[in-house]
Amino acid sequence: MRYEIRVDGHMSETLAKAFPELDHVVMSGQTVLFGPVVDEAHLYGLLARCRSLGLRVVEMRQLPE
Amino acid sequence: MPAGENGPGLDENGPGPAIPCVDPLGDPYLRTRFAPPAKPATFLRRERLVRHLDQALLTPLTMVNGAAGAGKTLLVADWAAGLEQPVAWLTTDAADQGPGMFWAYVLQALRASGVLVPGGVGCPADARSVDRKLLARLAAELSGHDRPAIVVLDEYDRVTAPEIAEQLEFVLHHAGHGMRLVLVTRTEPLLPLHRYRAAGDMTEIRGAELAFTPEEAAALLERHGLCLPVRAARALVDRTQGWAAGLRLCALAAQESPDPETYLKEFEAGRSTVADYLLAEVLKRQTVETQDLLLRASVLERFCPDLANALTERTDAEALLAELHRENAFVEDLGHAWYRLHPLFREILRAHLRVRSPGLEPELHRRAAQWLRRSGSLPETLAHGAAAGDWDFTAGALVDDLAIGQLFTGLRSDDLAELFSRMGPEATSPASDLVRAARDLFRCDLDGGLAHLHRAERRLSTDLPDLAAAQLSCALLEALAARLAGSPVRAEEAAAAAEELRREIPAHLLDKHPELTALLLTHLGSTRLWAGRFEEARAALSTVIGSSRGGATALPREEALGHLALIDYLNGWLARAERKALAALTETERFSLPQPSGSGIERLVLAAVAVDRNELGQAKALLDEAAASRPALRDPVPEACRSIATARLLLARGDVQAARAAAGPAVSADVPSPWADAHAALVACAAHLGDGRPDMAAKVLRQMPDDPPACAVEVARAQLAAGDRVAAIDRIDSLRTDGRTGPAVAVRAALVRAQAADGAGDFATARRLVAHALLEARRERLRRPFLEAGPWIRPLLGTAPLQGLTEGWLTPGPPRHGEPPGPEARPSSLVVEELSGRERDVLQRLAQMMSTEEIAADLFVSANTVKTHLKSVYRKLAVNRRNDAVRRARELGLL
Repeated sequence: MRYEIRVDGHMSETLAKAFPELDHVVMSGQTVLFGPVVDEAHLYGLLARCRSLGLRVVEMRQLPE
Repeated sequence: MPAGENGPGLDENGPGPAIPCVDPLGDPYLRTRFAPPAKPATFLRRERLVRHLDQALLTPLTMVNGAAGAGKTLLVADWAAGLEQPVAWLTTDAADQGPGMFWAYVLQALRASGVLVPGGVGCPADARSVDRKLLARLAAELSGHDRPAIVVLDEYDRVTAPEIAEQLEFVLHHAGHGMRLVLVTRTEPLLPLHRYRAAGDMTEIRGAELAFTPEEAAALLERHGLCLPVRAARALVDRTQGWAAGLRLCALAAQESPDPETYLKEFEAGRSTVADYLLAEVLKRQTVETQDLLLRASVLERFCPDLANALTERTDAEALLAELHRENAFVEDLGHAWYRLHPLFREILRAHLRVRSPGLEPELHRRAAQWLRRSGSLPETLAHGAAAGDWDFTAGALVDDLAIGQLFTGLRSDDLAELFSRMGPEATSPASDLVRAARDLFRCDLDGGLAHLHRAERRLSTDLPDLAAAQLSCALLEALAARLAGSPVRAEEAAAAAEELRREIPAHLLDKHPELTALLLTHLGSTRLWAGRFEEARAALSTVIGSSRGGATALPREEALGHLALIDYLNGWLARAERKALAALTETERFSLPQPSGSGIERLVLAAVAVDRNELGQAKALLDEAAASRPALRDPVPEACRSIATARLLLARGDVQAARAAAGPAVSADVPSPWADAHAALVACAAHLGDGRPDMAAKVLRQMPDDPPACAVEVARAQLAAGDRVAAIDRIDSLRTDGRTGPAVAVRAALVRAQAADGAGDFATARRLVAHALLEARRERLRRPFLEAGPWIRPLLGTAPLQGLTEGWLTPGPPRHGEPPGPEARPSSLVVEELSGRERDVLQRLAQMMSTEEIAADLFVSANTVKTHLKSVYRKLAVNRRNDAVRRARELGLL
């Protein structure tokens, strides 16, 4: 599965390294994290990680393969 | 407020169990987890929220729920500090993987806040599980208090186990007005919130309410010395969405900048993620030393200046931490000179640490582990050692602390096993080999365990002198290996070595880990029992039962009681065996040890007792239960006990072939066991007799030893059945009954003599002997010998006065006046089983239409226990459904 997670605001390079398994791109006041997600557990883990880093998730969706 | 001392002095009524001053792992409680963080100088008290929180005193459940850094914890801490009564505060911990640990900490938090929780409530001994009865006792205790206990669980989102939510709800529900629960969490807890909402039983403060209003934001900035018009504050609130951490960071960053106004304007117009950007801003304005301290401390849950110094390799932590706490909200003060980083900032700081000093993290974990090892917190030491990947160190810490027994005692053995499962072959120290050996032996892999153990021993003999703890650990594992192999000689050697080593080990370590000695003596007792040296076995096992009664030794005590029960059974004392076996079950229930924890021997003994009482359904249920629970240990003694109970059950049911198959040795052992062999031979003889080969049976029987007496009387009976009357009487006459043998032996001996007398035509003697046997057997409900005796006994039992001795336990009593005899009084059924007291209790509640769960809570037992009782009630009443059971019980006048 591939997912993209949009968070509010421009993330710093430093913080983006807290998601080593994902690529990221900054655009129009948002940062998009995207990449492969192993399973549900990983997905919820990513959400929890966003939360513990004080990031606001605006959108999350599965990408077509 | 008191924080985590052992609570107030308690005047207990009567001798209750002692209140543990250590957690289920035998470690001191972390006092910092019972302390709400002190509020920083810049904290802004927001009255609207405090007023809303006051509702928490009126509703059973309160939930304060919002994002990281929304100001939840400080709000509740500030509210709690203003109350007239102390609050039980607990910061939950992700490391508490199990309900047992969670509840142990909750109980300790209650005691620390001055709530009287008597020792009788009990304490979970196992980190992984908690017994429903303990929770019922706690709820009942709280519901009886005149003032509700206020319990705050901070960071409740770290509790992920659904069973903990379910248990909390159970306690909350049953404690009624005795408990007010406040959950501080980032995520929606797994409680049936809709029900609480609908009933108006919940106070809720959510993210939207926690958000700062522009006025509050202006007030907060004022605390930081920044004057901002409300219009500008409004823009700032828009940008941060009123997020407390964002505003606080914003204030800090602006404080440090030469032109705060402009700085705030720029921030408002910027598009960066708030916390990430601002924290970097604030961090880069700190001194290099402070930055370094914050980054390095981010690997720690909580720390004191000395521990922080160990990580920075400097000596300035104390002053820096005090200043950080005073000036801003990076660092929270937990009292007793312990601090923690704000959870949100800690996460972001860790991200910074990885970027700035890649590869430093393991080194920091290693330093933390070394510091913690000196300060004596084993679980944290192990966690950091494992995080550092330094397995030689981690295994060494476990062994040197004399804690290797914890891998077996059900106290966190899973957590430890999980922790060490990541240990690779690169760890080569003797300690790591000991851990591997313990792991293999725990799985009953004798060869693997011995290989690791011997490698460790070879290395230890050539290594350093300061080895006593490691060698004592070796002795424990040797004793376990000897038990698994059925080798009394090796067990004695290990026990003797341990006795020598104990003198070289500091007393405080031995006191800290009573489980090590208790386990070793249990293994020793088990091998002595295997070899048939009952008295020596009893000596070792009794020492275990007399050992300290904490959760740490609950498992060895259970095992010892189970083995003592087996000795009683083998000596023919059914009621004593049953009492000890039930005590063994209770022991583990009281400490919420997981079933199966030990070898499960007590259930097997109960099954054997049930067969002797001809309660065959009960015996079958117990054997199935014992088989289903897949015991952790498969060693010769319980396996032999299982064979005996199973084979005798099958014999009682007339399935001779299956009995013979079940009687074979289940586990190979180094030395033969006289009693196990004797029982197997008896089953073989029964098979010969059943197949009509009395001469074969007699031949086998003549070679049988006269020990143990319990077997000897059965041998005599079989000889009589095989037509070898002289040999049988000789054997009975030469029986050594030195007061150690119980009624089961005496009854069988009397019946052999009676049968012989009956055969010789001496009916008066036969009747006298049978009467004697009936009197002995009635107290023990020992029915099998009479059922096995053969046709000669029937006419005797039907005549007065013997009939009077059989009524009510061996044969149905006379029908009650004016009632038709019930179907159970059909003459064909010789036996009717009485309901036990507990079964009657369950039946009475069944008649009151209570559910299984309600009955369990009412009787303070687990639902499974109730189900077991129900099954045997159905069986005894010959019904399959609740309604039928109640109706049938009414017919029989049992209700």
